[in-house]
Amino acid sequence: MTADRPDDDTGTVTGAGARPVLDVTGLEVHYGRRRRRRRALHGVSLTVAPGETVGLIGETGSGKSTLARTVLGLVRPSAGSVVVDGEDVTAHGARQWRDLRRRGVVQYVFQDPLRSLDPDLTVEASLTEPLLVRGATRPEAAARVRAFLPRVRLPEDLLGRLPGELSGGQRQRIAVARALVTEPRLVLLDEPVSALDSANRVQVLEILKELRESGVALVFISHDLGSVAGIADRIAVLYRGELVEVGAARDVVGRPEHPYTRLLVGSAPTLRGTSADRGERAALRALLPA
Amino acid sequence: MTTVSEKLLTRAEETGTPGRAGPPGSAVPLLSLRGVRIADGSDGREIVHGVSFDLTPGKVVGIVGESGSGKTLTCRAALGILPPHFEVTGGSVEIEGTDISTLSPARWTALRGATISAVFQDPASYLNPSLRIGRQIAEVVRVKKGLGRREARQRVLALLRAVHLQEAELVHDQYPFELSGGMLQRVLVAAAIAADPRILIADEATTALDVTVQAEILDLLADLRDRAGLALVVVSHDLAVVAQLCDEVLVMRQGEVVEQGPTRRVLDHPRHDYTRMLIRGHESYGLEKFLGQPKEES
Amino acid sequence: MLRRVLSLTSGRIAVAILAAVALLAVLGPLLAPQDPLATSDNALAAVSGSHWLGTDYLGRDVLSRLLDGSRVSVLGALEVALTALVVGAVPGILSVYLGRVFEWVTLRLADTLVALPFLLFAVAVIALLGNGLTQAMLVTGVLVSPLFYRVSRAATLTVARSQYVEAALISGASVGRVVRRHVWSKVLPPVSVAFAQTIGTGFVIVSSLTFLGIGVQPPEPTWGGLLASDLGYLSHRPWAPLVPALLIMITVWAGNLLADAIRDVSGEAGRALLKGRGARTGRPGRSEPAPAGGA
Repeated sequence: MTADRPDDDTGTVTGAGARPVLDVTGLEVHYGRRRRRRRALHGVSLTVAPGETVGLIGETGSGKSTLARTVLGLVRPSAGSVVVDGEDVTAHGARQWRDLRRRGVVQYVFQDPLRSLDPDLTVEASLTEPLLVRGATRPEAAARVRAFLPRVRLPEDLLGRLPGELSGGQRQRIAVARALVTEPRLVLLDEPVSALDSANRVQVLEILKELRESGVALVFISHDLGSVAGIADRIAVLYRGELVEVGAARDVVGRPEHPYTRLLVGSAPTLRGTSADRGERAALRALLPA
Repeated sequence: MTTVSEKLLTRAEETGTPGRAGPPGSAVPLLSLRGVRIADGSDGREIVHGVSFDLTPGKVVGIVGESGSGKTLTCRAALGILPPHFEVTGGSVEIEGTDISTLSPARWTALRGATISAVFQDPASYLNPSLRIGRQIAEVVRVKKGLGRREARQRVLALLRAVHLQEAELVHDQYPFELSGGMLQRVLVAAAIAADPRILIADEATTALDVTVQAEILDLLADLRDRAGLALVVVSHDLAVVAQLCDEVLVMRQGEVVEQGPTRRVLDHPRHDYTRMLIRGHESYGLEKFLGQPKEES
Repeated sequence: MLRRVLSLTSGRIAVAILAAVALLAVLGPLLAPQDPLATSDNALAAVSGSHWLGTDYLGRDVLSRLLDGSRVSVLGALEVALTALVVGAVPGILSVYLGRVFEWVTLRLADTLVALPFLLFAVAVIALLGNGLTQAMLVTGVLVSPLFYRVSRAATLTVARSQYVEAALISGASVGRVVRRHVWSKVLPPVSVAFAQTIGTGFVIVSSLTFLGIGVQPPEPTWGGLLASDLGYLSHRPWAPLVPALLIMITVWAGNLLADAIRDVSGEAGRALLKGRGARTGRPGRSEPAPAGGA
């Protein structure tokens, strides 16, 4: 529940004054009813500035996916507020959500492109879908997709293929293109590179870095600090439904404060081994609530 | 000589005398691959183009590569469990000095588990969902060691404790679905070392796990090496995982070993572009950007 | 879809038989060499040049009656299948999207319909609505519709929870669009399987009803009716029931064969099957089939 650090001084972070593209305040989410009611998120507050890249880190069951799904309107919060690009969406009904989505403000990239692309649709059909939904004509949509393809480094002859005929890296770049072709203000990416091997991982991250130039804010959701530390401006750490630490990536990785963050950083394998030895990690684990 | 699990179970506290005695390579290698080539028998395509390494007691060899690089096939060849159609077309695999191509199926069965064993990704799929954990490990112990029911139970409990599962009694009577991924992987490690193997192959054994859990499993593997002299083959797509544990690294790409050498040498002075690319990926996108030696500004 | 079915031998056979039967239904009455209703003194005649399949107990030409009767059988079977398709598949898909009340009501209705014995019910309804094959087949169609309801609902449920549907919804796609774009192509193959199967069942039902004399006025020829009348004169013409019986069997078999063929070629597995047949090198995977990293 630590708030943003005072020494939040890395250049790219939160352009003061600019209206945040995402502003989550005091979010509470519960699943199940009556006796089976379980708390998934508790008192989560997070802002994302335009063009900012935030890494949302949490392990299995930390509530990171719930947070993403709440922001996307797929899960209804039980308390708190969600403001997307200046619009309070907390109480939005289905129709209002659809209108908001059609404006293409928020998009989402799934972890596994094989499952998030319709196996029966050609790449072109999958890519034009979000544009057609917004009311673009078929030729317009096709032209925009063609113009966008070089930005994810894909050749045009892929357009006629089915997802099953492509490599994992190509598929994920298509999923990224589908999310970004509408020029959204905010894109949530759920483990976008963890299903990819090293070469493709680097390529997808480089592509996302370039796409960021257009001013889109990216939220990387991952269980692995190491996979997003290098691209994120800020890192938010979720632990058991609570945001335990938010700060500049350099600080969170270099000088973690909360025991859980310290454990996370200390456990991550790096080329120089882990930064904490097992004794230190055991001590940190003991500090965490059982 | 004493066996792996005996050493583990007696909890030799004299940590200064691990099984890593003597410089690696001095003894007869436990596992020795010499120019192993593997081809898809159905169309004759060669998929692995020559892999060589020696594994001595207490040594850890790491294989890094993408999916499709042939690292898993290489492990499977060493375990004698290549998928249908695939066959070793060149080179040799020797386990404790015996060429595995000369082994009869019966000898193989005796060897697996007792000398060479393995853990894989996705532990849940290697356990029967409808049997209690204890019974599944006991099966290994009873078949391989010929123990009775009561002895087997004692041994299983000892094994579960050896893989650092707290409340071994509880886990013993639980079903796979009641355990987390990290606990399941520990159970599989316990089953893999139940028959005192001397070689353990860990193929992407930590890939599906959370980072904090992955660190614990890697610690456990290091433990087994230090305390019992178990020789390990660690396979991963993540260079950092391999770097953490291994004495020697093989970097594989498209069936080819593009670089091989002592871990520190490979990390500090990579010779192949592909290895450099892997390292660069870590340095520009991983924690390495902020940890270790200061880079760039600041 | 049809092209894929035709790439299988079994699919070609099934389609050929069903097409031939359909052709019979259209042209049968024109092809009939003689008036199927015209009686003659030459009753229970053996096979001859003028009566290729002999005559029945009233001296009517059996071949002509068989050809003329094919229309009733085919139309009846189609009617059963189409009714079941519309009454079953549409609510089946909608049950996933139209909320809990609709879902609950349609599920209970489907359960109820399954519990009713359709042959008996068809007989009862005819007593109410009058003796007509159309009424009987409509009722039967409604009674077998739970098959379509279940099949289409199950297929829709899988798709509705898939990530690509979620991705479309996040882009602002309406439910209608999602159904047209994503759901339909996944629901079509299993529904086609059910349809082909139901056509087979439909033939059995039409034949059973007409065998019992339900739904048709006596002089009008049907396959089931022919079988029934032939059975009465077994001692005179022991092989006679074979022809209508075989026709019914082959048609039903073709319907089931077509269902199998559709099932085999549809979806991801079907694509793989056809690709594998195209280049039968027996390659298990592109590069490495083992459970390597990623996944």
